[in-house]
This record gives sequence, structure tokens and C-alpha cells, in this order.
Amino acid sequence: MTTLTRQDLNFGQGREAGPAGPGAGASGPAGFLERATGLCPPAVVADVLCEFLEVAVHLILYVREVYPVGIFQKRKKYNVPVQMSCHPELNQYIQDTLHCVKPLLEKNDVEKVVVVILDKEHRPVEKFVFEITQPPLLSISSDSLLSHVEQLLRAFILKISVCDAVLDHNPPGCTFTVLVHTREAATRNMEKIQVIK
Amino acid sequence: MADQLYLENIDEFVTDQNKIVTYKWLSYTLGVHVNQAKQMLYDYVERKRKENSGAQLHVTYLVSGSLIQNGHSCHKVAVVREDKLEAVKSKLAVTASIHVYSIQKAMLKDSGPLFNTDYDILKSNLQNCSKFSAIQCAAAVPRAPAESSSSSKKFEQSHLHMSSETQANNELTTNGHGPPASKQVSQQPKGIMGMFASKAAAKTQETNKETKTEAKEVTNASAAGNKAPGKGNMMSNFFGKAAMNKFKVNLDSEQAVKEEKIVEQPTVSVTEPKLATPAGLKKSSKKAEPVKVLQKEKKRGKRVALSDDETKETENMRKKRRRIKLPESDSSEDEVFPDSPGAYEAESPSPPPPPSPPLEPVPKTEPEPPSVKSSSGENKRKRKRVLKSKTYLDGEGCIVTEKVYESESCTDSEEELNMKTSSVHRPPAMTVKKEPREERKGPKKGTAALGKANRQVSITGFFQRK
Repeated sequence: MTTLTRQDLNFGQGREAGPAGPGAGASGPAGFLERATGLCPPAVVADVLCEFLEVAVHLILYVREVYPVGIFQKRKKYNVPVQMSCHPELNQYIQDTLHCVKPLLEKNDVEKVVVVILDKEHRPVEKFVFEITQPPLLSISSDSLLSHVEQLLRAFILKISVCDAVLDHNPPGCTFTVLVHTREAATRNMEKIQVIK
Repeated sequence: MADQLYLENIDEFVTDQNKIVTYKWLSYTLGVHVNQAKQMLYDYVERKRKENSGAQLHVTYLVSGSLIQNGHSCHKVAVVREDKLEAVKSKLAVTASIHVYSIQKAMLKDSGPLFNTDYDILKSNLQNCSKFSAIQCAAAVPRAPAESSSSSKKFEQSHLHMSSETQANNELTTNGHGPPASKQVSQQPKGIMGMFASKAAAKTQETNKETKTEAKEVTNASAAGNKAPGKGNMMSNFFGKAAMNKFKVNLDSEQAVKEEKIVEQPTVSVTEPKLATPAGLKKSSKKAEPVKVLQKEKKRGKRVALSDDETKETENMRKKRRRIKLPESDSSEDEVFPDSPGAYEAESPSPPPPPSPPLEPVPKTEPEPPSVKSSSGENKRKRKRVLKSKTYLDGEGCIVTEKVYESESCTDSEEELNMKTSSVHRPPAMTVKKEPREERKGPKKGTAALGKANRQVSITGFFQRK
């Protein structure tokens, strides 16, 4: 049970990011949402992606021991147990960050979302990259689409959980940050808006 | 040779794909009995450790046995990491069974991923989830759905009853969990819980063993109905700490109704939008461009019935505008002011003055939106929005002529402009010699028609306009 409850109840286009399936891919690029033929609207897709990213960030913080395990609590998401932080400020920070990302997701301006683990000197030690792309159109009914999507998101969570097999231990005193890479067009649009303002 | 194949398979899963290989997952994947899968895993671990002692391999074990706690003898079943295995074994008075539970490259911090690993493979094999299982119950047969809902209620009641009996032995409070909402598994717990109820009295080693195997079945979440989560405290003793966390989660989650609802909302509510979509999308598109929609409709000349609310609203708006503007202008034939043709269409069905022929349109004069004029001015060279009249039969059986603006590639734009200006003067002075005949026959036809007349086309060309 994550803290995210925002839902926008329309279906429209979906989004996808990168290839991923149960057990496939390394602990690096990932992120996807399949696109049913005109079924999922951007708002729903952005919501689902933001929820997933929130869970993923919390799980990364838990697995990579960025924060002590004591602040984490087991919750259920996509029908599997996940670790979520109970610290209010940390939760607020993550939520605010993703809240800002959401409009970009709706407009499909996001190329990738990167969670970077930094050491004490603010040098990046690790990066978890979630690539977001538009997939080809698929003709799947929305019910099976949703269960399929849930299954794939579960696979993500599983992959994050076993990522320490391929990663070294982090030095103590690490912090994290979230970077959002937008596509070029988005940057231009944002610049335009700023110039007008 | 066949022996070696499974070793290679496991090696591939663990080392190359960085998967968590549980015995249950392996048994489904390779299609072997669970006991054989356990043996395979054990074999693999032994060989791997022999070959390469530094191999990055983490193993978890399932340990079960009897334990004396607070003066009570209870049976404990626990999934433990390798480093804690000896400690747990030493606590047990009698160790009933130990076997490999899973092998993975990563050091797992908690047992969540173990459940995650089994979840999907179980879900995809729900129909035959006990195919490779060591747990069989001849009495467990699928129920009809109607019966299963009533049975689940009885199940809950029996659970509560049992929980009050065995409160003292409660370490853990969950009976198991499983893929939610599976109809097939809902009947199995009744059989299992029935067996537990009967064994509650006698806590011998043998009965504990049986319940232990059933507990494992439940533990591994293949069969337990999770709608009524065993506050089943027969089961409380079966779970060690490692497993406890795994299951407490689900119990907590199931107990906290709010949380569950929130989780389910994303999945449930996402299906709801499906219904709202067609209407939603339609409305948004309509609201965005009502004018264009109307214009298109008018061009087709078919939509007289204003069934759509959007068009009605815009129609009303236009009607209001027309009412304001009408007193200002006298001429009824001017087509100098191109306006959205919807105006014309709404008014034309309302009968024009009776003496005039039914073909006579009722042109309304409204101030021309400057944008249209400017756009037509800009498009002078290439395309021009021309006011043309179209005649058709409406629903009431009246022949209606409406004036619509169509873009038309214009070769003689100059003449069109001239026509427009001249038409202003037309009504009072029907003396333009160029078009005497046409005026008499259809004095109120569109500008385009007049334009054509000025160009000295034959009268048949004039009628083709209709």
C-alpha cells in the first residue's frame, strides 16, 4: 500500500520504456508501460508511472542501504511485499519530486528518470536509470493489459531487489538524488515559456 | 547426461540471469516434483561449493521442527538464511526437516523477493498448482462459485473461533497468503483448516508433521484463500521469524482495510475509465472546436437535427447573437458578412415569409468576424472562402437552402470581391442589366450564384448550383 492514491479515470495512450520482462535485463535501464491501442490516456499512464517510480525509489534506498533499515516498513504493492520508508520528510521529498515529473510524463517529454546515489563528496557512485519510451501499438484488451503491466512491474521490483548481486557495496554516508532527463523538444518548450514569462 | 542438464539450467538461472531460484519455481519450470527440485538445488549447491568455494551463492533453507516455548511445545517452520541455519537448528528440540528453499546470487535483505519469485509462476499455474506438490488431499475438489462464497464466510467464523482457543501460542497470526482473488484456491483452505481444527487437540510429532506439510503448502501461498487470512493460530507456531515477516505483511495489509482499498484502487479504478472513455474523449473533442464541428456538419448538409448538446449550445449562442444583430441590418439578402453557416441553418427551417417561394433562404446579416475577412483577404490568391448556398430537403419535408462557406480555389478573386460589393446594392436596385433573368428567378440566391451570372454562364449552369 503505497501512499499514492491519485487516479485519473480515463483511458488513453500508454507509454513504454525500454525492454523489460520478468528476469530480463540488468539492474539498469528499465521502465515500461505497454500501450493499448488508444486505451490509456496520458494522465493514467503518468499516474501509474509515478506510483511505480515512488515504489522503486523507496526500494532502491532500502536495498542500497542509503538510509538505515529501521525507517522502512513492509507494504504491499502489485500484490507483493515492498519496503517503503516511514520517514515523513523523505517521503515528502520523493513525492514532491515525482509530482513535478508527472506533467512531463503526461506530455511524454521524459526520456529517462535516473536515481543517483552519491557519496559523501557528492560524487555519483551508482545510477539507476529508468528509460521511458513510446512503444509500438499493441492490441490487447485493457484488462489483460493491466494485469500484464502489473506483472511486469513486479518483475522490476524483483530485479531491484536482487541488484546487489552485481553491485558493490556503497561507502557509508551516501545520499541520493533524482534526475529527470527530458527530450530536446521539451527543453525548447520550457525555454520558450520562460522567455515569454 | 540428463543429470547434468539440470545443473546447467540452474547455473544459468542463478549466475547468468541473476534470478532467485526457489524449489517451487524450479519444479514448475522444469516440470519435476518438488522433492526432486529440492534435491536438485542441494546437489547444485554442493557441486558449486566444491568446484569454487568463492562462488557468490546465497542459500536459504526451510527448517521445521518442534520447539519448546513458554512451556508449550509448538511446531516451527522457518525460512532461514544460511548463516542463521545453525542457530535456528539448535533451538529446535527435534528437527523434523531441512531442505534448500532457494538459491540466489544476491544477499537478500528480506524475504519479500522470495514471495515475489513464486507469485507469478504460481499465478500462471493456478489450474494445476498441486501437480508437482507433495501435498495432496482427495477431499479437495473445486466448488461451484456460489458455494465458495458462502463457504468462505464459514471459514472466517471457524478461524475466529480457533484463534480464541489458541491465543497463548500466538507468535504469528497469519495463516498464509496467496495470489489474491483466485476462485480455485478458495476451496482448498477449508480442507486444510478443517484438518487443522481436528488436530488442534493432539500435538504429537506426527500430527505436527502433517500440519507442517500443509502449513508449507499454505506458506508457499499456493492454495490458501487469502480472503480470510487465518488469524488461525494453529499456524502461529509454524512460522519462524524469517517467515513471520513475510506473512505478517500480508496479514497487516489485509487487516488494514484502508490500505488494501488504496492498493486495489489503482487496479480497479483503472478499469473504470474504460467505460468513461468514449464519452469523455468525445466530449473533449467537441468542446474544443464546436465551431468547426458545426461548420463541417453544415457542409455535409445532413445534420438538421441538433441532437448533440454541444451543437445546441452553440446554436443557442448564435441565435442570441442573431437576435441582437438583426435589427441593425435591413437587407436580408446580403452575403457580405460571412458568418458561421450554422446561423443560417437554424433559422432556415423556421419558415420564411409565406409568400416567398420555399426555396428562398433567409439570410441573416451579422457583422462579419474580422478574422474571417482577414483570412479570406489573405487567401485571396489561393483559396477563398466563398459563400455558397446549398439546397436540401430537411426532416420536415421543407426544401431548405442554406448558405455555407466553403474554401474554394479561386481563379477570379477580383470578380468575387466585386460581386460582394455590388450585392450590397442589389436589393434596392434590381436594375443591374447583367443579370435581369437570374434575379427574377432567384433573387435571393447566394453570391456565388450571382457571381456566376455575371460571368455570363448559361442558365443551366445556374441551376447546377443546387
